Amino acid sequence: MAGGEQYSGVHVLDPEGVDYTGAEVEATTVKPDDPPMPPVQWMKTNLFSSVANSILTVVSGLFALWAIRGILGFIFDPERRWEALATNMRLLLVKSYPFDQMIRVWVSFAILLGLTGLALGLSRSGALAPVSRIASTARNVGLFLILVGFLGPFELGGRIRWWIAGAVLVAVWFGVWRIMGDKARFKMVPMLPFTLVLLGILVGTLWVFPYGDYRFVDNNPTFEAGTVAMTSKIGWSSMWLTLVGAWAVGVAMSRSSFGVGLRKSMPLIWLVAPFFVTWVVMRDPDLDWDHVLSTDIPMFLGFAAIGGVILFFLSKPGLGEAGRLIAIALVVLGLATWVFAFFGWAPLWPMLQKARLSFLLLGIFALAAPTFAGETAKRLRFAGGWVGAMALLHYFATMINTTSTLEIAEPSFLGGATLSLFVATMTMIFSFPLGVLLALGRTSKLPIFRVLCTTFIEVVRGVPLISILFFFVIGFSLFLPQGMSMSQVAQICLGYSLFSAAYLAENVRGGLQSVRRGQFEAADALGLTGLQRTGLIVLPQALRVSIPPLVGQLIATYKETSLIYIVGGFDLLTVANRVISNQSDFLGAKMEPLIFVSFLYWVVAFSMSKYSQTLERKLGLGTR
Amino acid sequence: MTESTTAVPIPDRLKGANDMIECDQVNKWYGDFQALKDVTATIKEREVVVVLGPSGSGKSTWIRCINRLEQHQAGRIVVDGVELTNDTRNIEKIRSEVGMVFQQFNLFPHLTVLDNITLAPRWVKKQPKSEAEENGMALLERVGIPEQAEKFPGQLSGGQQQRVAIARSLAMEPRVMLFDEPTSALDPEMIKEVLDVMKELAREGMTMMVVTHEMGFAREVADRIIFMEAGAIVEEGTPEHFFTNPDSDRTKLFLSQIL
Repeated sequence: MAGGEQYSGVHVLDPEGVDYTGAEVEATTVKPDDPPMPPVQWMKTNLFSSVANSILTVVSGLFALWAIRGILGFIFDPERRWEALATNMRLLLVKSYPFDQMIRVWVSFAILLGLTGLALGLSRSGALAPVSRIASTARNVGLFLILVGFLGPFELGGRIRWWIAGAVLVAVWFGVWRIMGDKARFKMVPMLPFTLVLLGILVGTLWVFPYGDYRFVDNNPTFEAGTVAMTSKIGWSSMWLTLVGAWAVGVAMSRSSFGVGLRKSMPLIWLVAPFFVTWVVMRDPDLDWDHVLSTDIPMFLGFAAIGGVILFFLSKPGLGEAGRLIAIALVVLGLATWVFAFFGWAPLWPMLQKARLSFLLLGIFALAAPTFAGETAKRLRFAGGWVGAMALLHYFATMINTTSTLEIAEPSFLGGATLSLFVATMTMIFSFPLGVLLALGRTSKLPIFRVLCTTFIEVVRGVPLISILFFFVIGFSLFLPQGMSMSQVAQICLGYSLFSAAYLAENVRGGLQSVRRGQFEAADALGLTGLQRTGLIVLPQALRVSIPPLVGQLIATYKETSLIYIVGGFDLLTVANRVISNQSDFLGAKMEPLIFVSFLYWVVAFSMSKYSQTLERKLGLGTR
Repeated sequence: MTESTTAVPIPDRLKGANDMIECDQVNKWYGDFQALKDVTATIKEREVVVVLGPSGSGKSTWIRCINRLEQHQAGRIVVDGVELTNDTRNIEKIRSEVGMVFQQFNLFPHLTVLDNITLAPRWVKKQPKSEAEENGMALLERVGIPEQAEKFPGQLSGGQQQRVAIARSLAMEPRVMLFDEPTSALDPEMIKEVLDVMKELAREGMTMMVVTHEMGFAREVADRIIFMEAGAIVEEGTPEHFFTNPDSDRTKLFLSQIL
């Protein structure tokens, strides 16, 4: 367990003080940093060690300066119309979501941030870094700011402001270096609270720093000097407070048994959260209470009660063949409801979608029932799981199928960044399990699975993403059962999920092949069933190996959501590229939004890749 | 072959014991290559049988057939009254009664030592977690490394790993233990700690079938030694008979090279 991390020169032991040889080590001695090299000597060894090295250093250094100067010149050119961005920020983030309902967006964001903070606190995650390291980062940033002051296209006053900012940071480093003793300098600081404080300072500047308030008033862009709008100030401040508060609560609970339980159920909560946020908070379902009371609630109670009793009975130990027959009958019934609906046969087809899903799910639960055979408490837990699954299914199905009270001109209540993130999240949630199943199917011994999965993977991988998207957006409704329709966003998500799943499957397959034969044999020799062998032994190892390519694929999918542009959705890129530059006030302002959007994409993709590195380290990839 | 079986004197402690493993005319081919030729032998309850032979003689193939890691194509294998056929239920029953220890340990690298041991009892025998962990700790105690319970296999030495592997098999409370060259991948100083555990196991009356090159172990612990060559049993006998006065020339040649 790599609980600590390896920083250059500082050896951090993991919390139990164990190393990989199995011998105990002294957990107290920490190797100090190598004595810092004087700058001149550092340059000699690293930059000017030979003639060729010196030439390369000078040439690439000049090139870097030239490039930075060019970029700064572009960004700070007075002709740039950054106010086009500032004024259209809401459009970029949420498109035409009604302004008076914006609290819903904030609440959604707060839910997600709260969960993030809670998860971070509960797992007490976060690395440690020595003070000296933080100080030298500050120094480097400071030096860069001073460089910006020299290279940017500023008046003297502007230059001086950059220099002062840079000098303050360099002074911080100098202070740490001169005033603090060795011991204080190498003190390890937890990075997470430190980052939270930095974020807090950033949010705090909203209240004091004159960023300016840009907005549309009656479709005219206006500008007020001073700080940003009050809604942004309060919004972002409460977001920060939510994050920090949830983190503190998480840390406080992390040692209690409730906290441990909560941490274990965190993955499930994360899985449900996006659905809750998009269909319940952002949509404001306009519930028809008569229908809810007359149909929805009785239907849920019926399925929960009758299904619970059936499953409790089926998990009775020693039921044998009879139980299996009942389970198969239930599966057949579940499938029949779908087949009947597809061909429109009476009497089963005019049935609510969620009823069909419930029947199908009941069959699957029934098949799994013998696994949960045992004492009464265990069987009750199994039946309870069924009731929980029903509650989730019926709740969400009802919420999704209810129209929204929000009046939005477009078919989708999502737009801009929210649409991009929604499609990306749904694609990840659905394509990951599908990809794993496809990989297992492709490596299966059963020929029917193998052929089906291989065909699917090869076909999808051989077809361009755009054509798949067009197929789902234009042609997919022809394949749906009678009376069923699908929104455009759902079709787009489906297309992305299937496309991404085919690629994920190939990555997982690579991981599956890396699991050694001996692992299969050991599992067999212990008497594990094929399913247990796959789920407990093979998949955990395969997935661990495939983390880097899997995350790479997820990042690629996230960036490919910009193709929604082509099938006519209003995602982040569409707003940036087509909407803003067509506004009469910002005609032709194209580069600015595009740069900003690229930056947003980069921030998310970079965080994902950083997270995957942390995950690899946490799972000890390569160390055991 | 049958003559030599009857010729082996049965030690007193095994008098009246049941047959635990019966192999009758077992044959196996890999493509055109015949790996096992008419292997016939019976192993009694509580008996310790050591299988010797040059590499490629089919020793490992044979014991891997006994819990169906390899499939025999002709002949009969009966373990504790259950015949190995293609019926999955028979295979599962036999596997839950037969423990196996591998040359390469084959511990599960993503699980802690204790989880390695408790996995099968919890999932196959449906033991509650607390009970499985209690048993697991007792087993680690027995193989002498209870302090390693929370570590991962990669953090242990080879000898410790193999002892964990033995504990993992014992956790299923098997009636037979198969050892497939358990010490061949170990450094010399670690071989002893594993052999000690195996000797202890033999003393407690476990039925054991051991493929090994450890002649000292064979001489000290085995009730019977079976010598194989080119997929067939060439000779069997008590250790004393086998090491001092073997019948076949092939055995003599093998012993002269190895001792």
